[in-house]
Amino acid sequence: MTTLTDTEPKTPDLKTARGARRLVRGPRAGRQLHGGKWTYVALVLVTVMSLFPLVWTAIAASRSNSRLAETPPPLWFGGNLFKNLEFAWHEANMGTALLNTLVVAGTVSIGTVLFSTLAGFAFAKLRFRFKNLLLLLVIGTMMVPPQLSVVPLYMLIAELHWTDQLQAVILPTLVTAFGVFFMRQYLLQALPTELIEAARVDGASSIRIVWHIVFPAARPAMAVLGMLTFVQAWNDFFWPIIALTSSGNPTVQVALTGLAQGFDPDQSVIMAGALLGTLPLLIAFLVFGKQIVGGIMQGAVKG
Amino acid sequence: MASESRTAAPSPTGEGAAPRPEDTPPKSDARRRERRSRRYRLDVKWSPYAYIAPFFLFFAAFGLFPLLYTGWASLHRVELTAPTDMEWAGLHNYSRLLSDEFFWNALKNTFTIGIISTVPQLLMALGIAHLLNYRLRGSMFYRVAALTPYATSVAAATLVFALLFGRDYGMINWGLGLIGIDNIDWQTGDWTSQIAVSSIVIWRWTGYNALIYLAAMQSISHDLYESAALDGASRWRQFIHVTLPQLRPTILFTCVVSTIGAVQLFGEPLLFSGSGATGGANHQYQTLGLYLYEQGWVNLHLGRASAIAWAMFLILLLIGAVNWLIARRLRKSEGDS
Amino acid sequence: MRITVPNRRASSPRRRSRRLVAVAAVAALGAGLLAGCAEDSDDGGRAGSGSKDGKTTIKVGVFGVFGLKEAGLYDEYMKKNPDIVIEQTSIERNENYYPRLLTRLGAGSGLADIQAVEVNNIAEIVETQSDKLVDLSKTPGVDKNKYLDWKWQQGTTKDGKTVGLGTDIGPQGICYRKDLFKKAGLPTDRDKVSELWAGDWNKYLEAGKKYKKNAPKNTAFVDSAGGVMAAVTGSYEDRYYDKSGEIIYKSNPRVKEAWDLGVDFAEEGLTAKLQQFQKTWDQAYANGTFATVSCPAWMLGYIKGKAGEKGEDQWDVAQAPMPSNWGGSFITVPKAGKNTEEAAKLAAWLTAPEQQAKLFDKQGSFPSASAAYDLPQVADAKHPYFSDAPIGKIFAKAAEGAPVQILGPKDLIIAQNLGDVGMLQVDQKGTSSEEAWKAATKAIDNALDK
Repeated sequence: MTTLTDTEPKTPDLKTARGARRLVRGPRAGRQLHGGKWTYVALVLVTVMSLFPLVWTAIAASRSNSRLAETPPPLWFGGNLFKNLEFAWHEANMGTALLNTLVVAGTVSIGTVLFSTLAGFAFAKLRFRFKNLLLLLVIGTMMVPPQLSVVPLYMLIAELHWTDQLQAVILPTLVTAFGVFFMRQYLLQALPTELIEAARVDGASSIRIVWHIVFPAARPAMAVLGMLTFVQAWNDFFWPIIALTSSGNPTVQVALTGLAQGFDPDQSVIMAGALLGTLPLLIAFLVFGKQIVGGIMQGAVKG
Repeated sequence: MASESRTAAPSPTGEGAAPRPEDTPPKSDARRRERRSRRYRLDVKWSPYAYIAPFFLFFAAFGLFPLLYTGWASLHRVELTAPTDMEWAGLHNYSRLLSDEFFWNALKNTFTIGIISTVPQLLMALGIAHLLNYRLRGSMFYRVAALTPYATSVAAATLVFALLFGRDYGMINWGLGLIGIDNIDWQTGDWTSQIAVSSIVIWRWTGYNALIYLAAMQSISHDLYESAALDGASRWRQFIHVTLPQLRPTILFTCVVSTIGAVQLFGEPLLFSGSGATGGANHQYQTLGLYLYEQGWVNLHLGRASAIAWAMFLILLLIGAVNWLIARRLRKSEGDS
Repeated sequence: MRITVPNRRASSPRRRSRRLVAVAAVAALGAGLLAGCAEDSDDGGRAGSGSKDGKTTIKVGVFGVFGLKEAGLYDEYMKKNPDIVIEQTSIERNENYYPRLLTRLGAGSGLADIQAVEVNNIAEIVETQSDKLVDLSKTPGVDKNKYLDWKWQQGTTKDGKTVGLGTDIGPQGICYRKDLFKKAGLPTDRDKVSELWAGDWNKYLEAGKKYKKNAPKNTAFVDSAGGVMAAVTGSYEDRYYDKSGEIIYKSNPRVKEAWDLGVDFAEEGLTAKLQQFQKTWDQAYANGTFATVSCPAWMLGYIKGKAGEKGEDQWDVAQAPMPSNWGGSFITVPKAGKNTEEAAKLAAWLTAPEQQAKLFDKQGSFPSASAAYDLPQVADAKHPYFSDAPIGKIFAKAAEGAPVQILGPKDLIIAQNLGDVGMLQVDQKGTSSEEAWKAATKAIDNALDK
């Protein structure tokens, strides 16, 4: 997490005195030169580009359909936001959808993190037959396009009577090859083999090793993987729109797609739906932004 | 899981738990040690399988089975109207792909959209990472801001962009109108539609990649810059000769991830058109993923769709193999220097 | 992305046998896990359908705003039959709904007790799925003579099983904006407007040319060339298939005529270059940027919603040049449903003339039961948004004159590609007629080839 500390200069003089900063922060941070005026200009531009479509979603959601079909397009908020939000909420079954998505994304995240850590640990540190073959299989799995499995998967869940039920979208995504690979790469470096061997010599069972050594060592990566998986599961769209229906038991993306493809809803209502579906993650990003950014960066170095 | 906890429950603790009272006689102690060592051997041998079992169980049910089934279906003539009614077709579904101009069109589109979306995205990410690597006031704000598009779903992002790219009343055409450019039909044009679709991908992923680059940049040792500076290298030359080579593995990683994403591109072109899976009147932004969807779910030809799916899979494996070769090359050249 | 490859360990036969045991154990565990999940879900499934507090739940699966629920028909039925509960699930677009219906029919599960089918799919359903559907012809309350004969035939197999009961049909008129017509110097009275193009689609084109001469700024005569083509195609008996089931669209002069007229509209610059049911189409309604659109009865509500207050009192409905039909639906009862008997009863009730008349009154879906045409709800119907046009009479006339269309299993795909691939290119990109036709037929050939 060293990368995070440079956001908060501790004392004013450090901001100006480069030499002093180097002493305090060590050689790593010393490279960091002060950004010039143009750096800020460029970054503000990047920020505007990143945020504008989201802000405009809110603007569009606060207008009427006919106002969106005028030139120039609206650049500021109008008075229809709550009307549109309410309409989208009811029309798209958004309450159920948000709750469902929370359940799905939560379960999938926990499952993925748990199973990936276990498998990643085994692949990183344990010895067993067919290990390399199986690892190759895991990596090969990453290449499988999700479209490939849709039809047989659909027939499978239809056979199990799971259509329109949440387990139809939870179970097929409960493990990911990426997660296993990610945890393996992390544990390969973060978990000293001697530690495990020492524990073995002490007679610790492997379940104790997992609980007392592997999980603590893997915690940062587990957090990152959990976060990545949660965002991914929240935004997953290809499989859910096939397995679920918007009027039955939708997730947010299913509800949103249904809303967008419906014949009735106005453009402004669709934007209101998009806003509703995105808002929870946006709020999470605002609150935990620092941790999320730190997590992604940390995961990046190790993975 | 049950078997696992059974082996684990009676096992002694690592921190040397207090001996149980009935275990005091030395004879039973020896037997216990033997039992323990047998259990230990069993544990070492079988626990790895227990750890990977959940993954492979789920994978077998929801990954491997569909994969094999699709492979089997791709060798048949089979329609969605009767999915169990298969008629053997050998490699016909594959051989016809060679002369299927819609397949080649989709492949070409996947490729061009992949280029248009990946190259600027990674270049911009590199630039943004470079900017963020400066010492900045409020740098966390810029980082979080750059990452927010990542929180937006494909569906939400595409719906907004489709509106922004509207022909008659879209914000982008209005802006272009201000500087004297006539309305562009972002849906209909070959290049314009591909640019529009790519811009959604670029918007969503640039910030994420920038953070990954930034992390890699920050782990570059300062000594390298110091000695380059001593040699009189300018900041730009430092970037070219120190930063970029050090980032090579990371760049390769992001290239591979983006390429996989590009080959599988589906949601953006599907929702950008608003209806149907043709990817525009001229199939101008129909990607492989979308063509597969059209064959399977619109035209109802499961066999043909399965063949396309497997073709995609093979393309991805090819990319993976190329990546592996490059990575090995890189590692070797690093070892040499 | 580096993968380290540790040393392989040699294996002994004993190890291998133990491994087999382990794999078997793991497999058993997994099977148990899956079975557990399946059991759970089965309970959930039963709670949703079947008996609830001694009541029978009937599920109805539809696409779009089908109207049955909106017209209050379910509520009425539930009031009459207190031990029946009706639940509806809806998928917005038929293009998403239909493949799902097929897979569920194929798997024999996940089906609602009643499933709706669009007219473009009914031929394929009748041809390929009839063994999975209940024959409704003998259900009490179903009377063949109360329906338009051709609609009845469309839902009936060759060996006489009626698996689909008709709900509505889509007789077309031409919806037009009086204010724009007035500014362009065209008549605004609906009878005069009807006369303007009566009997010949080419006269519709001539009216367009006249409109263009004095057209109000930034407006077009029609919304899209594809819409014109679809309307013309709908006024002939044979479209894409002939009676023997052969695909003939390439050589059918009717299709050619419709295509050419669409192209003429595009090349004369009479269209607003839109694609129907896209958001841009909606926006154009809101702004009033085109003067006419061929509108089936079910589209009136849509137009009202999109044109909104701004278009109030501006719209009116005239007769189409030739009677024409676009759209309409059926309902079916899958054998795999849980309450086929009750479902069949409900299906019969929903499609009875009285209910169809109510559906028209509330939702604008025009009855396929000809016996409904004389009921006051249909015969005297006027639409206040469309200048009190006597829509009951206008559409009944169109319905009676509409041809008995020959359907085929791939109607939808052919129509879609002709419109969204072929005509759209001509309209929006200015592609030449020959090239666009070639592109469309190529796409259709590809789509039809198994």
